[in-house]
Amino acid sequence: MNTVLEINDLKKSLEETSVLKSIDLDVRLGEVMGLLGPSGSGKSTLLRCLNRIIEMDSGAIFYKGKDLKKYPPSELRKEVVLVPQESVMFSGSVFDNVAYGPSIDGDVDREHILNCIRDAGLSTDFEERQAEKLSGGEKRRVALARALALEPEVLLLDEPTSGVDPKKEEEVERSILNFSDKRDLTVIWVTHDLDQAKRVSTRIANLRDGRIRGIYGCDDFDGGEAF
Amino acid sequence: MNGIPYGIYEGFLILLSVLSLLVLVVILTAIKKLGISKEMIVAIAKGGAQLFIIAAILNLLFVYPAWYIPIWAFLGMMVIIGGYTSAKRATEMPDAFKITTPSILTGGALVLTVLAVTRAMPLHPQFIIPLAGMTFGNSMRICSICMERLISEVKQNKAEIETALSLGADSKKAVKNHADTSIRASLIPTLDNLKTLGIIFIPGAMSGLLMGGTTPILAAQYQIIVYLMIVGGGTISTLMATQLAKRKIFNDKEQLREWVYS
Repeated sequence: MNTVLEINDLKKSLEETSVLKSIDLDVRLGEVMGLLGPSGSGKSTLLRCLNRIIEMDSGAIFYKGKDLKKYPPSELRKEVVLVPQESVMFSGSVFDNVAYGPSIDGDVDREHILNCIRDAGLSTDFEERQAEKLSGGEKRRVALARALALEPEVLLLDEPTSGVDPKKEEEVERSILNFSDKRDLTVIWVTHDLDQAKRVSTRIANLRDGRIRGIYGCDDFDGGEAF
Repeated sequence: MNGIPYGIYEGFLILLSVLSLLVLVVILTAIKKLGISKEMIVAIAKGGAQLFIIAAILNLLFVYPAWYIPIWAFLGMMVIIGGYTSAKRATEMPDAFKITTPSILTGGALVLTVLAVTRAMPLHPQFIIPLAGMTFGNSMRICSICMERLISEVKQNKAEIETALSLGADSKKAVKNHADTSIRASLIPTLDNLKTLGIIFIPGAMSGLLMGGTTPILAAQYQIIVYLMIVGGGTISTLMATQLAKRKIFNDKEQLREWVYS
């Protein structure tokens, strides 16, 4: 199976604390890789290194076989898109927010934006609503739609259901799995919830103390070593 | 009447008499236990001494035939002190001096060039020194507000800036709203002053010209020129400062620099 992302011996320290001690991981084309680990294990830091919003200290990451550092950062971030845990909305409507990425290149297709809003599980009635006034769960969906609008190859989801009403958690999960399947997306899904990891992942990488402790098929992982 | 109607020596005597006002306010602040009496005396003594020193130097410069040589040292000193003072408002940003100094220089120099070319500023030290002081001083003040606001905007909104970057925006687009907000905020006090010109107060230049015997219409014309100069110099300085600051906010990989997270 084709490898989209290959991570070799990645190390990263934040404020002199070694957060990622040595990460080795291959992510395959079209899979949903669950990245499971307790708080502070370095999950978010790893996603931020993959999107190059922060720089790794050492090691190497290859995206589609090419060193990540050889991609212009702005171009890379349109293909390997990060949806951070905090869904920050830009001032303006939901439509403006979702169209943010395409508008950078002046390429806003209204139908495409509305499709992304629908795929993220929102009604298109939302398009004119002020994004900053939405509920936490609605903001999560707008953030997902905003990432989709870029037509990414890889989606980096940092706890995508955090802040979502527990009753609607599985609905959000289904939306994500549906649009990933529809668009052949490769997804890295960060979670600290073992059940969620099992529900959504093709494979699960167990990250603990800054290292990948094992990679499992979701049926053969009992989570015993996860926390 | 033409100018102040007494000479230097009489002026010193009058100044000493007016200093009784200082004695009065020092006594008042001491009675009220405001704790600023000492600071007030030191500030007035320091400010007064500085003014006399500069007045003595200007006295020499105004009669020195080759004034156009030392005047550059004067102007250079204004820019460097302005850049240094403004940078002190932006200590969190590394090397802020390298942003504020060229910004104040550019804003001020462009404005002074326009004033010289249009003959609004006769090329004589009596005009160049005060006008340059006002231009560089106000550019410094506006630049300080802008830098202070920009730093606070970037630190408070780093999550939004990162979100923009992570969606493929370059640093220019990611920080644009915050840079614009900083520029607007820095110009608001000057614009408010402009709107109330002549209603709430008669500004410094016009007051000085009126006291010096200039007709009110001519004094008003000159005051408007001074305000155009302040707004023009300030705007150019802030535009340049926000532009240069981007390199200190982001690295060449379009990532926020570490100081933003501290």
